[in-house]
Amino acid sequence: MNRICSIGLALGICVVYIAGLRVCVRASEAPVTFNRQIAPILYKNCTTCHHPGGGGPFSLLTFEDARRRGQQIVQATASRYMPPWLPEPGYGDFADERRLSSEDIALIQKWVSTGMARGDNADAPPVPHYDETWTLGKPDLVLSVERPSTLPASGSDIFLNFVLPYPLSQTHYIRAMEIRPGTPQVVHHANVLIDRTASWRRAHPDTWRDGVPGMELVVDAGNTFDPDSHFLFWKPDTPALIEPAGMPWRLDPGNDLILNMHLKPSGKPETVAAQIGLYFTADPPSKQPMLVQLEHDSALDIPSGKNDFVVNDELKLPVDVDVLGIYPHAHYLGKDLQAYAILPNGQKTWLIWIRNWDIDRQSVYRYRKPVFLPKGTAIHMHYIYDNSRENVHNPNDPPIRVRAGNRSVDEMGHLWLQVLPVNTPPNSPDPRLLVEAAWMQNRLRKEPRDTLALYNLAAAETSEDNYAQAVQTYKHVVNINPKDARAWNGLGVALESTGDWQAAHQAFEKASDVDPTLTDAIFNRAKSELDHDQTSEAEQSFRAVLKQAPDDASAHSGLAQALLKKGNQDAAQSEFAASLRIDPQNVDALEGLGQLALSRGQPAPAAEYLEKAVQRSPDDPVVREQLALAYAQSQRYSHAIQQLQQARRLSPNDAQVHAMLSQVYSADGHLQEAIVEQQEALRLNASDADGWNNLGVLEARAGNSVTARDDFEHALRIAPDHGPAKANLARLGSKAP
Amino acid sequence: MSLIAGRSHAPWYFAAQSFAVLLVLHCSVFAATAPHGVDLDGHPVMLDKSTAPAIVLFFTAPDCPIANRYEPEMLRLEQEFGASGIEFWWVYPNPDDTAAVIRRHQAQFPGSTHVIRDTEQSLVHAAHATVTPEAVIFIPHDGALREVYRGRVDDRYIAFGQERPKAMRHELENAIAAVLAKHSVPQPGGPPLGCSIVPLGIRSQ
Repeated sequence: MNRICSIGLALGICVVYIAGLRVCVRASEAPVTFNRQIAPILYKNCTTCHHPGGGGPFSLLTFEDARRRGQQIVQATASRYMPPWLPEPGYGDFADERRLSSEDIALIQKWVSTGMARGDNADAPPVPHYDETWTLGKPDLVLSVERPSTLPASGSDIFLNFVLPYPLSQTHYIRAMEIRPGTPQVVHHANVLIDRTASWRRAHPDTWRDGVPGMELVVDAGNTFDPDSHFLFWKPDTPALIEPAGMPWRLDPGNDLILNMHLKPSGKPETVAAQIGLYFTADPPSKQPMLVQLEHDSALDIPSGKNDFVVNDELKLPVDVDVLGIYPHAHYLGKDLQAYAILPNGQKTWLIWIRNWDIDRQSVYRYRKPVFLPKGTAIHMHYIYDNSRENVHNPNDPPIRVRAGNRSVDEMGHLWLQVLPVNTPPNSPDPRLLVEAAWMQNRLRKEPRDTLALYNLAAAETSEDNYAQAVQTYKHVVNINPKDARAWNGLGVALESTGDWQAAHQAFEKASDVDPTLTDAIFNRAKSELDHDQTSEAEQSFRAVLKQAPDDASAHSGLAQALLKKGNQDAAQSEFAASLRIDPQNVDALEGLGQLALSRGQPAPAAEYLEKAVQRSPDDPVVREQLALAYAQSQRYSHAIQQLQQARRLSPNDAQVHAMLSQVYSADGHLQEAIVEQQEALRLNASDADGWNNLGVLEARAGNSVTARDDFEHALRIAPDHGPAKANLARLGSKAP
Repeated sequence: MSLIAGRSHAPWYFAAQSFAVLLVLHCSVFAATAPHGVDLDGHPVMLDKSTAPAIVLFFTAPDCPIANRYEPEMLRLEQEFGASGIEFWWVYPNPDDTAAVIRRHQAQFPGSTHVIRDTEQSLVHAAHATVTPEAVIFIPHDGALREVYRGRVDDRYIAFGQERPKAMRHELENAIAAVLAKHSVPQPGGPPLGCSIVPLGIRSQ
């Protein structure tokens, strides 16, 4: 504190300490004017909403606008109603902080009390420009709600959910999103959720187009570990949501966006016709954040009249993270919302404190700098609720006992954090799996029979390749709820991965018994049958999937693989083609058609299919081997070498990759490299008689006849009847000196 | 039965203004010596000539969100009590709210057809209104108007950031009913909340 005086004092003496010297400075006698002091405050803090067409009810862009509202501005700022900013200063350092300084508030008061002078136009800052259209320019894709909805003129606030299906047939990464709510004045805030499986639309087949009421919603995340990663939160002063570099989010074909809007009746019927503008980037994410939640909804049981009901939760971090953002959430009874972290060394770090919670002014808060929390840190949520009559937000009059729920008369206590795992050791599994597991174990600590948490935990264990543990966890789920078809299916997948495929088949069967429409279970059984040479059964199972889901591209390619195994190449070809018509990126179909072309001696079309397959699935060494084969058959050796080098990188312990690479090196005239690769192949698989023979040939060609002889003899020790080795040895003998 | 407010209350100011003010206990009565506003065609509206049992003024502004949110409620009250002869007036006190602005507002928020532009803010001063939305009940009496209620419509908005999901006490409605029943008029339980009425000197260019 280096200044002791109120700016409000026109003739005050400011005492300024400069380098230890006490210097007295006569304060400016110049009056407070709009142009010099007030416009900069308004432009920085107010006009993002208060401009013509903006979310605010009136504009504050011009001197006339501000003068007309002078008294209003004093009241709204002095009470800190405006700008809307709930977090307590000093308890988390947030980007885009909108809290006015006491000095600014005093300046506004003085400006109004001294007659609201305009001042010298030369002092006026440039007037900000607000676009009536998309602030980031034309979006790459605009999604609109199917049917505009009508908000009634009066009544309590309304929470409506609209589904916006993603219409493209390609995956895109989203670097920015902008929401145009249609009528910004009635939209308090909006959240966008990604529904990977369109589950919510399927759950509301008749009403999703018109908007479905509800404050919170649960969507089915599907079977792959793909946690929500971003806060897609909109409020009137943040029209465009730009993600940090390296952190775009993803939309796949078949995904839905769900727009969850908090709407406030305006006094006249309003049409709500929201649009979402999406801005793409070609670069996939280089960093993978995830959202994690603290809550204790089962403890939310607030007696009527109680004004200090506490709900706590605690989550221990299994990895180092950077906290990027935070989203505290309660309904109307929330009063005092606190979140902090206790570091392993005992130090307390505040994450946020909201002393006077107000659902109308809720927000996601992003930290100015990421908050680093080391592994072992305990994150705490401490919420206090007021269910008394004195809480004016109380929706129940008289107050009643309130529990957790989706309606506005129910309550919630959620704390969401966006975390980015950091300091991950190389070659370790996705650290988000550990965060997910810790989160679910925390849920289970509170609610041991929480089947959703158990299911998610099991899925995380499966993704961590911890199949034996996953089997146990899935078994726990089906013990609690034998009607959980997806858990039976997950159990099947885990059992299959432990090698117990017979038990896996039983689990898949059980899933189908419980829910015959769960095609995933039939599909998985079909896959397993295919892998265990029950080819006819696999064919039947894939056909059963297609009967229910004729557009399932993977089932078409699975069926094709079964047909291929039975030697029915033509039928396989047509099923692969059907798969590709539905999903031009289907890797199995691309690979299958590539293999078929190879087997028919058509390496050029084979290479075309396989190039696409590699593009789609760059980390699959087998596809790269196939592509290398296609190149090699076309004498494109350097291309083949490139693919095999990649395959070797991906699967360094696969002897066959080294052997193939050796063959192609040899064909391309790189004898020494060929020898090295073949030696490596034999190091990995020493009992390969063919390999020893091939190494002998390479050594002989290189003029190392002694070594070559040893190699041929090595081959014959393994396989005494090895024809080529015998012949080569004989040939070597005749040429021997 | 007295129509005079039975209790003193903080928002009741009885300071003398530049026009004739008579203080009678806890209510103000002023002689209508001038037109108190004009209609949308510019014709004077003389409230003191009214023979209605009571006149309800609703101070409003097109750019005040809280005032706008009360449009449906005020229309409901007009429909409910109009049959009993109570007159309702939508009063636009702010400079710059011209007839054209008000017509546009009326088209958006279908309100009462009884509209007064308080061009000289004589109604603002007579009623001591400070914000929109604010409601006043006058009782015409011997060519003068006696104010028996002034303040908020109901208790939904307590303070900035303190809003009930719905009103618990419909204070204006209860007051009108009391006037009709010739009971003492209950007063609002808290100050009106909304947008400050813009002083006359402040006009846009």
